[in-house]
Amino acid sequence: MTSTQKLAERPRTFVYDRAERRLAVRMVAPSLILMFLVAAVPIGYAIWLSLHQYSVRQAGLSRFVGLDNYLDALSSGAWWSAFGQTFTFTAASVSLELVLGTAMALLLNMTFRGRGLLRTLVLLPYAILTVVSAITWQTMFEPTLGLVTTVLRGLGLPGGDIVWLGESGYAMAVIVLADVWKTAPFVALLVLAGLQVIPDEVYEAAELDGSTKWTTFVNITLPLLKPAIVLAAIFRTMDALRVFDLPFVLTRGANGTESMSMLAYTELRENRLVGEGSALSILTFLTVMAVSVIYIRFAGGNIRAAAQEKQ
Amino acid sequence: MKASMPAGRRRLAKSVVATVAMGVLLAGCGGTPATSPESTAAAVDLKSAEGAKGDITICGGKDASGIHKNTTAAFHTANPTINAKYVEIGSSTDQQRTQTVQRLEGKSTECDIFMMDVTWAPEFAAQNWLLDQTPVMEKIKDRLIPSTAQTALYDGKYWATPFYTNAGLVYSAKGKVAKPSTWQELYAEAAKAPGNGLVYQAQQYEGLTVNFLELLYSAGGEAVNDKGEVKIDSPETREVLQFMADGIKNGSADRAVMTYKEDEARLAYESGNFGYERNWPHVYRLLNNTKLAGKFDVSPLPSFDGKSAASGVLGGWNFAISAFSQNSGAALAYINFATTPEWQKHVAIDSSQAPVNEAAYSDPEVLKAMPFAKELLASVKGAKPRPQSPVYPQISQAIYKNVHSVLSGSASPDEAAKKMAEDIKTAQDSF
Repeated sequence: MTSTQKLAERPRTFVYDRAERRLAVRMVAPSLILMFLVAAVPIGYAIWLSLHQYSVRQAGLSRFVGLDNYLDALSSGAWWSAFGQTFTFTAASVSLELVLGTAMALLLNMTFRGRGLLRTLVLLPYAILTVVSAITWQTMFEPTLGLVTTVLRGLGLPGGDIVWLGESGYAMAVIVLADVWKTAPFVALLVLAGLQVIPDEVYEAAELDGSTKWTTFVNITLPLLKPAIVLAAIFRTMDALRVFDLPFVLTRGANGTESMSMLAYTELRENRLVGEGSALSILTFLTVMAVSVIYIRFAGGNIRAAAQEKQ
Repeated sequence: MKASMPAGRRRLAKSVVATVAMGVLLAGCGGTPATSPESTAAAVDLKSAEGAKGDITICGGKDASGIHKNTTAAFHTANPTINAKYVEIGSSTDQQRTQTVQRLEGKSTECDIFMMDVTWAPEFAAQNWLLDQTPVMEKIKDRLIPSTAQTALYDGKYWATPFYTNAGLVYSAKGKVAKPSTWQELYAEAAKAPGNGLVYQAQQYEGLTVNFLELLYSAGGEAVNDKGEVKIDSPETREVLQFMADGIKNGSADRAVMTYKEDEARLAYESGNFGYERNWPHVYRLLNNTKLAGKFDVSPLPSFDGKSAASGVLGGWNFAISAFSQNSGAALAYINFATTPEWQKHVAIDSSQAPVNEAAYSDPEVLKAMPFAKELLASVKGAKPRPQSPVYPQISQAIYKNVHSVLSGSASPDEAAKKMAEDIKTAQDSF
């Protein structure tokens, strides 16, 4: 840090500046090229594909259609229902994950015997492949033999006779449950990291001032945790908006659970409508981008402010 | 340092925009797609099979019954100059299709023969991915069950050769329920007692299209006729949809079927809580390994209210030769071997699959290995193919999504029948 400051303070000569710039360009070039290859080229190619239609009836036939694929998608009921269903899923799962994840983090932050073991155990669901956990949930909710339905029936509780994955509403509930089970530990991990940087002195001061546990939590812990929680919310929202494997395995998109990504997959892979499918992928991408921009605009300030405070 | 951050970020944003824009331009230069149709596919040369040698690879799904292992081994014994290898390229039909498409799109020479589901030929043929097998089929067609040959037909040519076939059967619990002769009888019997219920496949997937079309064909309806005209918006469709929805409402069929594919239905039936099961022939062997062994009957699919003859929907697998095969002569020799009447018997005896050769069904050894061969032949002969079109995946979606919404109660049979016709027309209008 200090050496760079010294460099900057030196009187700049024109020649030196140019040489330095050239060096800078050369040093940055590899990573720029890499970024270009791995990120921009595929996205650019997908945009290119989305402006065309490729015939499924005649080999090698294609045509340029401009924005038609987008207009078709935006005027179709299928896109908008997938859009609505994806947002419903996202809102339900992310809010539950934040609440549960924060609660888990608070518990894990306490000092008790076997804390290390518990921290590892709590993370287990996150280590399991989504497809595998989806198949497990599907088996558990199987109507005649599944664990959940059998237990509910055995205890005489309501829900034992429901075909969970075969009815709208219930099917979405199972998908949200499967997602929360898997990713609440991830949120817990991020929040736990946030908890551990809060200095003990703050709590000691609060205790001296006679603050109750609840007021301490609301007025000290929560505000200081906000950057961590916002970060978790951004990560989870991005992921949830692109959800694919859970509905694909659990319902194949039936009963009001088809997501934007599933719709794009069906067009691209099953129907081989490359142009139309690419347009749907780009629309999904733009939706996720838009949401992240909104997040960063409204919540990003918190992260930056907090980061600056820490400095 | 802090002050320079926003400027740096702005510059970064600019360069990202620039790279994306360049990506679009570059992709435009690099990925020039052909805009004119390619010439038509070549036909196989019958003479090329004579004296063929070298290696061939057959690519297909998981070889659960061992049929491909048996066939490649026997083929090598009969043709020592050719080494045939079977490669599994996907555990489910969906995966297998994706893997097949990827190889063909990339003009891969890895696979000489692809195992093709009976609905794939038109779509792949339209992309010039397959060799025209009309000369082979003209030679052996007479000994095939006619309905099986029809599944390889598209645009007046044969694009594949049937290897083994498949048709739905009804399994019924002995002593609990009667063998059905009409679907109405079956549903009535199934509703009589809680343990009599029917299980079938009604998850939102290809299997639901099959289950629905079996009823529709039997009721005298059709989805798309030979000329490609959409005929699904019909009184028969409404009647069948109403019948299926009522069946779930009054308990003839368990509501859980809406989450069942083949395996789920089989497992549910094996619990002994049901009277009837609609499933494929492979279930016979599996059921005999459970506590239900010997306690069930097998019958061909029943008719619909005795109106028309009973009719199923044809399944099964065909051989297609890849247009990019480097050894199509040896591939042809393999197909010739696998479709001989002699080997077709082994298809049933060694691997419990349904032969495409009619004579095999009356062979004593086959009857011993497959006691329900007579019922199976009746089902196969009565079965019709699904609509044959390069846009079949979309047509099937139009059917199963709308049938599913009637079963779940979110659409009426009338709405669904109209929507199906509309969706199929949209599919047919695909570029």
